[in-house]
Amino acid sequence: MAYSNKVLDHYTNPRNVGTLDKSSVDVGTGLVGAPECGDVMRLQIKVNPETHVIEEAKFKTFGCGSAIASSSLATEWIQGKNVEDALKISNTDIVKELSLPPVKIHCSVLAEDAIRAAINDWKKKHPEAHAAAAQSEVNQAEVNTTA
Amino acid sequence: MLCWSCRQPASGHFCPSCGKIQPAQATDYFSFFSLPRKLNIDLPSLEREFYRLSRKLHPDLFARGSAQEQEWSTEKTSQLNDAYRTLKDPIARTGYLLELEGVKLEEQSRSATDAARQTGAEKKQVVPPDLLEEVFELNMQLEEMRMNKQVGEDDPNIVRDLQQAQQHFEQKLNELTTELQNDWNEWDALIPAGSTEPQDQQARIRVRDKMVDLLNRRSYIRNLVRDVNEALS
Ligand code: FES
Repeated sequence: MAYSNKVLDHYTNPRNVGTLDKSSVDVGTGLVGAPECGDVMRLQIKVNPETHVIEEAKFKTFGCGSAIASSSLATEWIQGKNVEDALKISNTDIVKELSLPPVKIHCSVLAEDAIRAAINDWKKKHPEAHAAAAQSEVNQAEVNTTA
Repeated sequence: MLCWSCRQPASGHFCPSCGKIQPAQATDYFSFFSLPRKLNIDLPSLEREFYRLSRKLHPDLFARGSAQEQEWSTEKTSQLNDAYRTLKDPIARTGYLLELEGVKLEEQSRSATDAARQTGAEKKQVVPPDLLEEVFELNMQLEEMRMNKQVGEDDPNIVRDLQQAQQHFEQKLNELTTELQNDWNEWDALIPAGSTEPQDQQARIRVRDKMVDLLNRRSYIRNLVRDVNEALS
């Protein structure tokens, strides 16, 4: 199957392959799999405890070229974003950027799952981040009712 | 249904009264072979039936028939090939049955992701997390072994490690096959004599979902077996 140039670029020259210390409180780890094909992906983030900005992202993928490209791209995208913004990335953004054909959509789904799983894992270690997000929702609700 | 030619009651691929080929219909693979939706299939008799029908439906035999009969024979021949290819393979057969039972194996993971995005909740992984952990770990080890092998081609230790891994994965695959066999038996027992589908709807869904879970788990192990064989070859 013909891969797009962007896929090939990430595949032959993947960014941010590697491992972060799973046990660190500032590190979130997401391990996900695609049952369609049996491929697995691990994505890890290191989050700044004050700003909640993702300072570093690493991945390791055992899967097809599209899955490797999707996870490589995902780590590039989320670095420098705060966790709430990183959660807004959806698999369709990845599909568009990499021009993935329909049969490869599940590979991009895997990357989105990995981002979410990593952030959830980090949040579990940081209950106050939940509270902050909930607080901003409350504030938002107040704004809405007073408007 | 009446035969289009002699107007006698007809069912199956040929009219029992006049022997003419009957119209091609959209049908599932089990019905094509007049089988109930059972997962234990007697392969030798499936094969015999396949060859018998291939001969009888062969388009060459209809070269002098009507245009419609020619079309039906071509259509039925292609259905026959698809049906046989799917039913003779135990995993393809199981996957196909699950599809007939309304499971979209290809889409389950994606819809779970969509749900997680909307609710912000954690996505439910379709396989248990500890299996993922294990598979990931094994992949890491396998990668290391493969890299070592590239460096020190004939190192007997590496080859031994790989062979052990191969045995381990194959054993796991065998365990899953045994488990699948049990599910098959359970499923088949739900289909009463004379009926083509399970009648107990609750049990039907329960056994179906067990098999979905099993096929999901199996795909990871199958990849490991494939990769380790590749590394050893
Ligand atoms: S084929 Fe498995 S993730 Fe792409």
